[in-house]
Amino acid sequence: MESHLPAFKESNPQLEVVTEEIRGQHPHLKGLYRNRNERVVCVKNMTPEDVLECAAKLRNSLGRKVLKLKTRHVTKHPSVQGTWTTELNL
Amino acid sequence: MATKRCFQTLARQSSIFSPNPSLQYLHRTLKPHLQTLTLTLASTSQTPKDDHIWHSLILSPNTHFAFARSFSSNRGNDTASDEDDGVGDSEDEDGEISDGEEVLTANRREYSVEEKETEAAAIGYKVIGQLERAERVFKDYEPVFAVIQIGSHQFKVSNGDCVYTERLKFCEVNDKLILNRVLMLGSKTQTMIGRPILPEAAVHAVVEEHALDAKVIIFKKKRRKNYRRTKGHRQELTKLRITDIQGIEKPDKTAPAKPEKSPPGKTEKASVKK
Repeated sequence: MESHLPAFKESNPQLEVVTEEIRGQHPHLKGLYRNRNERVVCVKNMTPEDVLECAAKLRNSLGRKVLKLKTRHVTKHPSVQGTWTTELNL
Repeated sequence: MATKRCFQTLARQSSIFSPNPSLQYLHRTLKPHLQTLTLTLASTSQTPKDDHIWHSLILSPNTHFAFARSFSSNRGNDTASDEDDGVGDSEDEDGEISDGEEVLTANRREYSVEEKETEAAAIGYKVIGQLERAERVFKDYEPVFAVIQIGSHQFKVSNGDCVYTERLKFCEVNDKLILNRVLMLGSKTQTMIGRPILPEAAVHAVVEEHALDAKVIIFKKKRRKNYRRTKGHRQELTKLRITDIQGIEKPDKTAPAKPEKSPPGKTEKASVKK
């Protein structure tokens, strides 16, 4: 039971927030992303503040798969002035 | 001891009030401080009105001693409490950044003043701009790069790059940031080196997401010692997309379709020859 739900709804007008009562299952948060990815987070035995934090995390993240980062800097054009080679003469 | 303290306070109080008052005036003003009144009168002045002085003196000893006792005990309490408060305050001040914050829990802090947010942002070398609302900020690639410092990490960054940094506080998703800690700017023809930063350079970035990294399992083991520990850790990251680099002359794009066709043609001929 999230008492912070109205505030969350107001702060995120771009989201559709739907509440459903599910019987016989643990309570969970489902996040549907634009890249058709679904992230389900179980919120069993969590306080309303913790549930709000989980929801905020889901909202803050893109739907990309959680992988280990190869590099912290992703670029399509790694070189501006030309890649360095051993034959480069300035 | 107590009597000496009392005398000192009496002297102070008497000095505070007007130096040559009439006795009646004193009596009226110092009604709550009867004891003090009487003692000063006894010490300083020798007036013909001794009767009421003696009366008051008779009254005074009990009240005086009571006052002294209470005064001393209160003083002790006050000093103890003051010391505790002082120590506590100094500890809090050392632990916290400055006055405007209130520590609610160990994890959450409410930064009550916006100035504090901007100061902390300056520590992380970013300035929060405005939120984006249906603006077209993403430009095409420009052959300009900048070397940026965020926190303790430095990146060589160009237009349209993604940079993953540690979680930046005070900014939400879809926030515009201005990274003001720029160490170097470069383009095809020019290079500007900062010492250590370039003062008139700015790099605009947009916060794409705040997300958690993949889980890293920290496993510790000491063999034959029955010691094994497993800990999971997920680092909080912020993904920034660089939109604009300012502070350097950018080469104008003069590339219509025709000159692009001819070089590929030449390369094809060269490859055929070889």
